[in-house]
Amino acid sequence: MNDGLTNINIRDILNYKLHITVLVIFLISTYIGVIRFSLFDTITIIILPLVFSLFLSLFAYTSKRIEWIQKKESQTATLIFTVIICPLIAKLAIVSGANIHLLYQTGPLLILEELGDILCVLVAMPIAILLGFRRKSVGMASSICREPQMAVIINRYGADSEEMKGLMIVYSIGIVLGTVFMSLIVNIMSYLLPLHPYAYAIACAIGSTSMNVAGLSALCVLYPDISNQLMAFSAIANLISVLLSVYIFMFILLPLAERIYSFLEGYQ
Amino acid sequence: MTETISSKVLIEWIGILVIFSIISAIGNVIGYHYPFMESLVGMLILCGISLAGLIIETYTPWDIPSILYISILGLLLALPISPVSDFIIYYTTRVELISLTTVLLAYAGISMGKDLGDFKKVGVKGVVVTFFVIFGTYVGSALIAQFVLMYTGMI
Repeated sequence: MNDGLTNINIRDILNYKLHITVLVIFLISTYIGVIRFSLFDTITIIILPLVFSLFLSLFAYTSKRIEWIQKKESQTATLIFTVIICPLIAKLAIVSGANIHLLYQTGPLLILEELGDILCVLVAMPIAILLGFRRKSVGMASSICREPQMAVIINRYGADSEEMKGLMIVYSIGIVLGTVFMSLIVNIMSYLLPLHPYAYAIACAIGSTSMNVAGLSALCVLYPDISNQLMAFSAIANLISVLLSVYIFMFILLPLAERIYSFLEGYQ
Repeated sequence: MTETISSKVLIEWIGILVIFSIISAIGNVIGYHYPFMESLVGMLILCGISLAGLIIETYTPWDIPSILYISILGLLLALPISPVSDFIIYYTTRVELISLTTVLLAYAGISMGKDLGDFKKVGVKGVVVTFFVIFGTYVGSALIAQFVLMYTGMI
């Protein structure tokens, strides 16, 4: 699992300067908290503390003043990152276990909603390959590129693989622009393709908390009378997504992306 | 083929998880006003499940990632029939998911720092792909949800 990172030893991991820097960044980001503001009238833009955290730590790496965060620390951070995704997965698993009654109350058919992610692979995979991303395409366009999928990609291809770099591109851009994109897409699609708002509320459980909240807020602004039902549907769909997204990704989306990749690369 | 975990890797995992627990617990006290010891116990539960998953992955012959074992383990432990579910749910709700993600992204940013050069090159193209990833996922799920809601007579 950590093949490329064997040069990291326990002394690197116990490097307290790295962890204190992270702690300070974490506290600043938490202190700033959730920022929300409206663009025009319907587009709510939400910025979560994790966005600040990402930018502050990137700044810490690039800043000349913070000289104790260098390439070695960056490599250590890659290893740490690989391991600390696990407690996040454990947390989500516990939430879904505790709410298992919601899953069977709403009917097992709602599980099918997860298969909608296939459209993501069908649309985004050819675009990524056309734009010349090669092997990176598999990491980029096979899913919404959040932590669960990241863990699968790290496990299957390695933390320093092309696929992982591809995933990190969409992951990072998703963090920065995902909420903005979600607000826009939710707003525009409600006019272009008027499905039932419940359907869109379920679809908002896209697999990313910040994007889910951003999309749902936009939807609730569009349909204020049924906002409670929209939130309920979205929460249930989010649970299903948490529970199943890893499996759908591993057994359906990733193999499909590999197929499309070998098919399209064969043509070039 | 099974392999044994070297004590070096095991100590690394434990070291990382303990540091992560302490940082997260401090953040949960300052940011979300949970008692430190409760957050710490919650973190240690999450890390214990993680460690179990990582160890199971190494000792089982199948090509199944640890997160699968961790997901199943966490789910089973929190089910209403589980004798420890109350204990586990109580302490792990003392840990905010958003705070874990915030710490994760602090390490992610430092980790990404060394690849920043590559990242700048993809710029606009990466933004285009990201847009269609989100667009495809959202619209695909909405279409199926619409069908399911109509089929079950909910709308």
